[in-house]
Amino acid sequence: MTAREPYKNRIELLQGTLDMLILKTLQWGPQHGYGIVQALRTQTSDVLQVETGSLYPALHRLEKQGWVRSEWKQTESKQRARYYRITPKGKKQLASHLNRWQQIVEAIGSVIHGTPKRGET
Amino acid sequence: MSWFWRFLMNRRKNDLRDELETHLQMDIANRIERGENPVSARQAAMREFGNVPLIQEVTRSSWGWLWFERLAQDLHYALRQIRRSPGFAITVIGTLALGIGAATAMFTVVDHVLLNPVPYRDPGRLVILSEGDGKSPSWYPPPWLDIEQWQEQSHSFSQIAYSTSAFDGRSYIQCASGELEIDASTISPNYFETLGVKPVLGRDFLQQAPSFAMSKNAGTIILSYSVWQQAFNGDRSILGRSVRINYDTFTVVGIMPHGFRTGMDRTNRAEVWLPFTQLNSQDAKRGLGMNRYAVIARLRDGVTLQAATSEMALIQQRVTALYPTAELRQSYSRIHLRKYIDFLFSEDIHKALLILLAASLLLWLIAGINAASLLLARSTARQREIAVRGALGATRTRVMQQMLVEGLLLGTIAALLGIMLAVFSIKLFARELVQHLLLPVPATPNASILTALLGLTLASVALAAFWPAWMASRAPIELSLRQGSLQGGAAHRQARARAALVSVEIALSLLLLVGCGLLLRTIYNLRQVPLGFRTDHILVAHLSIPGYRFKGQNMTANLYLPMLRRIEHLPGVDFSGLVNQVPLGSTYAVQLSMYLKGRTVLAWFKAATPGVQKVFDLPMSAGRYFNASDTANSQPVAVVNEAFAREYSPDQHNPAAIIGTELINLKKNVPTRVVGVLADVHQTGIAISSQPQVELCIPQISPNTSYYDAIDGFAMDLAIRTSLPTAKMIPALRTILKQANPAFANSTITTMDQIVADSYGSQQLAAHLLEIFGGAALLLSIVGLYGLMAYVVSQRTHELGIRVALGASRGNLLWLVLRQAAVMLTVGVICGTGLALLSGRIVRSFLFGIHANDTWTLASAALLLTLSGLAAAYLPARRAAHIDPMQALRAE
Repeated sequence: MTAREPYKNRIELLQGTLDMLILKTLQWGPQHGYGIVQALRTQTSDVLQVETGSLYPALHRLEKQGWVRSEWKQTESKQRARYYRITPKGKKQLASHLNRWQQIVEAIGSVIHGTPKRGET
Repeated sequence: MSWFWRFLMNRRKNDLRDELETHLQMDIANRIERGENPVSARQAAMREFGNVPLIQEVTRSSWGWLWFERLAQDLHYALRQIRRSPGFAITVIGTLALGIGAATAMFTVVDHVLLNPVPYRDPGRLVILSEGDGKSPSWYPPPWLDIEQWQEQSHSFSQIAYSTSAFDGRSYIQCASGELEIDASTISPNYFETLGVKPVLGRDFLQQAPSFAMSKNAGTIILSYSVWQQAFNGDRSILGRSVRINYDTFTVVGIMPHGFRTGMDRTNRAEVWLPFTQLNSQDAKRGLGMNRYAVIARLRDGVTLQAATSEMALIQQRVTALYPTAELRQSYSRIHLRKYIDFLFSEDIHKALLILLAASLLLWLIAGINAASLLLARSTARQREIAVRGALGATRTRVMQQMLVEGLLLGTIAALLGIMLAVFSIKLFARELVQHLLLPVPATPNASILTALLGLTLASVALAAFWPAWMASRAPIELSLRQGSLQGGAAHRQARARAALVSVEIALSLLLLVGCGLLLRTIYNLRQVPLGFRTDHILVAHLSIPGYRFKGQNMTANLYLPMLRRIEHLPGVDFSGLVNQVPLGSTYAVQLSMYLKGRTVLAWFKAATPGVQKVFDLPMSAGRYFNASDTANSQPVAVVNEAFAREYSPDQHNPAAIIGTELINLKKNVPTRVVGVLADVHQTGIAISSQPQVELCIPQISPNTSYYDAIDGFAMDLAIRTSLPTAKMIPALRTILKQANPAFANSTITTMDQIVADSYGSQQLAAHLLEIFGGAALLLSIVGLYGLMAYVVSQRTHELGIRVALGASRGNLLWLVLRQAAVMLTVGVICGTGLALLSGRIVRSFLFGIHANDTWTLASAALLLTLSGLAAAYLPARRAAHIDPMQALRAE
């Protein structure tokens, strides 16, 4: 019980964002777990390192929601791996995620950069 | 189910393990590619990857199967509880299984008999048509000419079909393994259509015009499923092939579905059906010697039985006018319509089954209450444990779920046991059931029974587990946690609830006991009726004979009389005789209708040898019985009984005056002469008084006389009276039977006492079952009472100890506890008596020689219950009386 706590907390902190990042990565094509980690790492120049302990629960949760599908396939190096593919439902979800993310970024940005909100004069 | 879940779980778990392993391997491979050495690459990858089992677990929790794991946990815990106190578990499971078993068994029977007795389409719309004079209670099947009129004139029926037996005597179908005795009926081609059943294989008979000219159905036959299976091993190629019955051959055109029957009798022989293809001379007349047909018709949609009855009454007036004599016109002036379903089972059976169903439901209710009260006691005893769990953070729903799972587990085990109990008990009572219901009840519960069982189980479990669980989870935690606070308000309330439950249990048990007592008295009264003849030391063998094989032979002279002579010389045989049916028998009754001085006379017909009178010690009221001088060459004689003589004696005031008068013709123009009058005995039923009967002498019956075909080639009862124990006689008897004819080898041999017992009717079956139900109810209520008192005493140990310390005597304590039990018993008995008085009306028609509100029965049932209840309470009371105050005070 107690050992599980830290992981749970971290997942909850990242939850929405991690889901969005995974779905975004899968938009470029089906990918396995390791591939997703690598893709995120290279795209962010090693800034974002996704923990496997967060990635896999997230992937399985997304699959349960029906936002991704998975199947076992051969990799280029002839290894069996579980590939995740985004579903149409997942794409819709990603769009709304990005939308919200945009709003949050704008809101936070406006606070940090001191741009006054309308009606707050 | 659980192994399946585990299998699915394991597959997913392995899948996840593989997935994580792949991830690791890819990382390592990647690192090596970048130039790291394999060992450090592996170490780095694993470090970065993290704790594999933990990742697995977190991932698994996202599958949402935690509820399942929790359930497994609860089940595990429940099993541990059962193991820890097996006595409690056995009591609860046994109690519930008993209730469920009884109810399921009764539901199986009732479902089969009252709800789905025959596999016909909409059997409630089928009616039986017969005719009579409307004054006597007898109704006769009509001749073909009348049926033809009905078919032409009536509008109430969509179909009118008719049937009769196909052959005189017994029928045997030839098959690879020898021959199989069957029931062969001749039916109108629309018969199956009327019943709404189609052949499962092949086709139905072809419909045809009523004239029967050049019938296309000639020489065809339809087999029942059981003949198809038993005689031809279910061979599909039988269609179109010919089969032989007795000496005739027929071409098979169809097979009827499994379970389909048209004849309902105790033998349950496999059936075949022949089409009605041509009229003969007996069909072309009305009156003496006409063929009669059993008629079944389907009511047209929307037509009520009443409407059909009034229409047919009008039609029958026109039909009757066609009879040749005024006497016949009178005899068949009325028509009788009866629902087929009612015709199948007597009202008595209906009532018996419904009463038994009610009794089994009562028992089930008692069992449920008992289980609930046991679970309640246990939850009270476990209050502290529950409180601790609550204090440690378990939610109320979680505790309730835990208790419910425990109850469900007990309920499920009980349900399984109950179903086995039901199957077993139906098998146990199969013989009696067939005896009374005329059709075998399958012991395997069908889908509707399983549904009923599921409903019952869920109800039982809800009743037995939910309520205590709810009470337990509502109990305030801190009160229970405090030491010595078990006498608190909640516990008090629960104890009162349990006392109420036990009182209800006692009341319901009393109801069952009274019902059981009344039926036992009825059986006792029936047994006390003097039958008028001896039944002890008598063995009866039912002989059935393939009569067709003796065509052209005189069976009386060549088979029966030589066999009887050999039996007479058997050591141990005092008297022996042959008769077509022994008194109170149910094998082969023949009814005779004859014309005597211008009146239609209806009488039971028997053929017997002189020895029969001595075997049964039948008393003569006047004249003589048959004797050795009555032979084939002497004057044909007849013996009648008093009931017959009273009705038809030339001198109304002197029944004996019938002696010397002439009766039915044995040969053309050779009438029989009455030589004796038998005293009245209960020959057809114990509760039924003697009915008119005519007996002829078997040695005088031969192929040249009348009645030979109806008697000799069909069935015969061999009765012997022996001075040896009856069981010892059977082997020697069987040997002689086998020597006489191989067909007799497997004859049923039974004692006269058994035949009498079988004739008690549905009361016997009901009494047997009620004995079981009543006994079980008594046991359950005693267990309930004992459980409650034992619990009360254990809870009050502390208080009782103080009482002793303060100077209470042992007697005081004993009385203290017994008084509590006495209050429950009194309340229960009073309520139960009220219930019994109210429900007395229901069983009234079922009783013989006893009133439904019989004081003695009520009083003895109440006394039995009170005494057993007090005895059950005495044990805990004595324990209370012997409490050692030092120990009791120290214990808390």
